[in-house]
Amino acid sequence: MDSRPLMRLRLTTSATEELGSTPHGTLSIFPVVGGSFDGERLRGKVLAGGGDWVTARPDGTFELDLRVTLETEDGALIHMTFTGVRNDANHYFRTLPRFETAAPKYAFLNRLLAVGIGEIGPDGPVHAIEEIL
Amino acid sequence: MNTRLLMTLHVNVATPQNIGAVPHGTRRIAPVSGGDFEGPRLRGTVLPGGSADWLLLRADGVLELDLRLTLRTDDGALISMKSFGLRHGPPEVIAALGRGETVDPATYYFRTTPRFETAQPAYAFLNSLVAVASGDRRPAGPIYTVYEVL
Repeated sequence: MDSRPLMRLRLTTSATEELGSTPHGTLSIFPVVGGSFDGERLRGKVLAGGGDWVTARPDGTFELDLRVTLETEDGALIHMTFTGVRNDANHYFRTLPRFETAAPKYAFLNRLLAVGIGEIGPDGPVHAIEEIL
Repeated sequence: MNTRLLMTLHVNVATPQNIGAVPHGTRRIAPVSGGDFEGPRLRGTVLPGGSADWLLLRADGVLELDLRLTLRTDDGALISMKSFGLRHGPPEVIAALGRGETVDPATYYFRTTPRFETAQPAYAFLNSLVAVASGDRRPAGPIYTVYEVL
């Protein structure tokens, strides 16, 4: 399957909200307070106010459910969500980002699917996001 | 991005149910009447019962796909598959697809992102992976080449 780099996304999170055991697993919410993204076609910052709703399943896999707002350096707002999985036992941290924007310059984001390869960096999670061609 | 083949999936589509103009676009539901799948690690058939694709044609001309299938492997395991996808292309290509013609899939964008759920230990690896698929819309229904994202 062909892909090409879309952006590298760095997220800054504040203190995790541990909700404990819910019917689907153990829920932790990671509030996103900032961050940045950059790629050949878009770059900018992550606005505060989003988060990642992470459910630890009994089989050891974390289910990710993120929504954030991106602001490009030229002022466009982009709504980004992803679902994904993280399993530290086999170093698998993959996401399926989707985008919505009203800005014509970035409308190509409305028409693509993407895959993110995540890692936990010293300053928080970093996602290398590729467009599925 | 590294991937490996998970399966080739043939989906047979029955007569669509045209819901029409809804707040987010034009809704059409394509019931699934059956199908089959085959790959190095799993093979079997698509069950018709709860399987369908909830299609939404957006105002920007992009078709959103929301496919849910129940797969039954040749050794009797049930696997639930849900996949979100997008399809769009040049107007003449989309019109040819609408007329039921076979079109070179390289001429339009048809990609989906399947996720799986199963209770069967032999297939539990499917619970913890994400996948991407490339679609080819044929008159009888779509053919998906599904890849595991490594």
